[in-house]
Amino acid sequence: MNELLKPVYLEEKLEEIRADGHQDYRSRSLPTWCPGCGYFSMAEGFTLALKKLGRSAEEVVVVSGIGCASRFPFFVNTYGFHTLHGRTLPVATGVKQANDALTVVAVGGDGDAFAIGGGHIPHAARRNVDITYLVFDNGIYGLTKGQTSPTSVLGFRTSTSPYENGDEPLNPLMMLLAYRASWVGQAYAGHPHHLADMIAEAIAHRGFSYLHILSPCVTFDKTTRTYRNLNMQVRDLPSGYDRTDLAAAMGEAMKVDHPALGVFYEESRPTLADVMDETARKAGLSPVPAGGE
Amino acid sequence: MNGTDVQFAICGSAGDGTIAAGDILKRTMALMGYKVIAFDIYPAEIRGFGKCISRVRVTTEQAYSLKHQSDVLMSLNDAHAIPHVGEVRDFGAVIYDNAPIARLPEGGHVSAHIRPMQLPYGVSFRSISDRATGNARGRNIVALGYLAGLYGMPAEAFHQTIANKFATKPQAVTDANVRAFEAGYEAAIGTFKLDDVVMGSPLHRADGARAVMMTGNGAVVRGLMDAGIDCYFGYPITPATTIMERLAVEMPRRGGRMLQTEDEISAIAATIGAGYAGARSATATSGPGLALMAEMLGLGVMAEVPSVVIVSQRGGPSTGMPTKTEQSDLNMAVFGGAGDARRIVLAPTNVEGCYRCAGLAFELAEKFQTPVIVLLDLYLSNRYETVIPPKENPFEPKQATGPQGPVFRRFELTESGVSPRAVPGQAGGVHTITGLEHNELGRPSDQPDNHVAMSAKRYRKLEPATRYPGLTTIKRFGAAGKVDIGILGWGSTFGEILEAMFEAENEGISCSAMKVVMLSPLPVDELEAFFADCRVVLVPELNHEGQLATLVSGTLGRPVVRLPRATGAPMRVDEILAEVRRLAAETAAAAE
Repeated sequence: MNELLKPVYLEEKLEEIRADGHQDYRSRSLPTWCPGCGYFSMAEGFTLALKKLGRSAEEVVVVSGIGCASRFPFFVNTYGFHTLHGRTLPVATGVKQANDALTVVAVGGDGDAFAIGGGHIPHAARRNVDITYLVFDNGIYGLTKGQTSPTSVLGFRTSTSPYENGDEPLNPLMMLLAYRASWVGQAYAGHPHHLADMIAEAIAHRGFSYLHILSPCVTFDKTTRTYRNLNMQVRDLPSGYDRTDLAAAMGEAMKVDHPALGVFYEESRPTLADVMDETARKAGLSPVPAGGE
Repeated sequence: MNGTDVQFAICGSAGDGTIAAGDILKRTMALMGYKVIAFDIYPAEIRGFGKCISRVRVTTEQAYSLKHQSDVLMSLNDAHAIPHVGEVRDFGAVIYDNAPIARLPEGGHVSAHIRPMQLPYGVSFRSISDRATGNARGRNIVALGYLAGLYGMPAEAFHQTIANKFATKPQAVTDANVRAFEAGYEAAIGTFKLDDVVMGSPLHRADGARAVMMTGNGAVVRGLMDAGIDCYFGYPITPATTIMERLAVEMPRRGGRMLQTEDEISAIAATIGAGYAGARSATATSGPGLALMAEMLGLGVMAEVPSVVIVSQRGGPSTGMPTKTEQSDLNMAVFGGAGDARRIVLAPTNVEGCYRCAGLAFELAEKFQTPVIVLLDLYLSNRYETVIPPKENPFEPKQATGPQGPVFRRFELTESGVSPRAVPGQAGGVHTITGLEHNELGRPSDQPDNHVAMSAKRYRKLEPATRYPGLTTIKRFGAAGKVDIGILGWGSTFGEILEAMFEAENEGISCSAMKVVMLSPLPVDELEAFFADCRVVLVPELNHEGQLATLVSGTLGRPVVRLPRATGAPMRVDEILAEVRRLAAETAAAAE
């Protein structure tokens, strides 16, 4: 962790970055995020992860919804589909169903994922669609200029909660664990190299992988989820932590005041494509059932 | 019509086996080589006391719809059948159980409602079934046997259909049903036949081609399969569910993938996702599901992604009447959603059309890079017709995709409006698509000139669709040239329109009919020519306000006479005919 907390000076690393080649995964469009936004770590982390995994740009599809985080596909040089608010996962499921060989990464913010799109999460998770879902959670609606989100903390003042937010925030990690996402992890935008490693691990996982990324909104949240606060709150998972223990993962996920970074849970079970293949096998063996034509 | 033309109506309560008896009857008639059109009406409840009617029209020559009068009514439940006695023609027959299970009140027997010119046949279905099989459950099959015996139909053909129907059940079930059928059949032998209903021999085609019986939804499935559907995503909703159920059986056998999604929004989202990734993908729903899909269809238009959406309409608005037919989603299919989002909408008028439209929808979706809606309604989805399957697969395989040139412009402003397309996995074609207005490269842009050019492109590219080869987008029937009355129609109602038009012609009324299959974009030139030829244009359709009438008269700026009917039942031939007669008298009076 101490290693991760050390500041990184781009000037010193410029040559190293150029030589590395991961910048090839960036598009010519410059990100539209505010200076200091936690989402810049997404661009860096994602490209580093693709480089690490050696995926070619044309075999990767980034699917996003609507919101600040969802602008991401424009900033990378892969196939991309910037869809509708909340519909990231079903579109990504369709892309993957059409072509198993593609690496499909769904990206969105907390409003896109847990408010309008919350109904799709259980089904992508339980079907174990072999895609990766990166949710950049800043606890606020940024693109519409600062309203309360499902992960906004109690007492948070925004333009739609001028007398303080009174709605209990939902716990994304517990939600995803309860729905049996087969890989659940958490990272922090302030630790970009750890984030890059986590994205790479999430993509490499066979099945539905969910990575929760704590990310400050520097423009509309000056009080709660700030770099200053998060730097002090985040911690490692305890030593000897067993990532196959669902109950232990739930326990860690409940500790919201001091969010842990790392892989909470991992299991191996058949993916949607495996189920489809098995269905095709059974269909080939059984006689045509009667009815209809 | 020369030759055989007999319509049977079987009416009972849910659980009486009404639909099953009708099913055996229509399958046997098709097996024998007759042309069949059949439609069942059933309640939304699975059990209980809802009314079921199975109507089967059996002909030797092509028929286009059910008749408004039946030749034979068979009652399995008198309370439900009494309101339908009136639909039996003079010298037609009413067959009923003269010893029903329950004691009926005064006037509760169907026999008390039979008019003097209708011929009654009272038979004890229940006791015959009891004697033949040991219980009363076979009374529907007894009744069917009686009907077959009365009209001299060959019993062997029925035995075969009964065996097919119960193929998955133990042999004893088939045997009991055959015994029940035989007992009913024998009861009819020696009955003195009073009615004038005659079943002639079926005609056999010179080319030896065998017709198969299919529903509209069944034909949609065949069309999708023959066109090589890769992915299907759906959510159960009456009356579209049978499409998903059949694809669930067939797609895995051919390497396709069927996924039941969590709602209609995800069904269309995944359909568009798969379309983007290069698959032939489709979904099917009804009006309430289409309402949920509206936003995603807009994305399909904006991001120019091919997809196919089958919509089977039912009574609306809201949950409406799920098991009743209606044509009231035209507006939503053609216009639904945000912004200027023109898409292709096809409305087949018969079962064969369902097959063509479903298959060609994939071709259109790819060629024009847009969502294509195929609009059916419950009456067409569930209606059985005998059709001759095509000898060869009529559909084109998937179009090749791939980047062109060193800089790939996914939304290049071409003359036709159609741009080069690449799909994920193809080298050199990397691009991002979006629901935001975008430039030729697909990058977000809200520049005024760009929005004007891109909107024009999305409209321009669809114009040639109305002349797509192999697709009947609009067609005129009956007299060519100038006529007094033109009848314009769409969807399932067009069969009734044709029957009414032929009858009006026989009566000497100058008339002609036109069906519009492509509702968006509208084949405006053909419509203009039709309006120019007709003194009056009548538009019968199954909705409250006349949605096609509004669309066409608004587009052409011409007046129409509306005949909107939204009862939940199909349009009646005699209703259309009455309106045609009235208009013919009016135009004649005006001419004098």
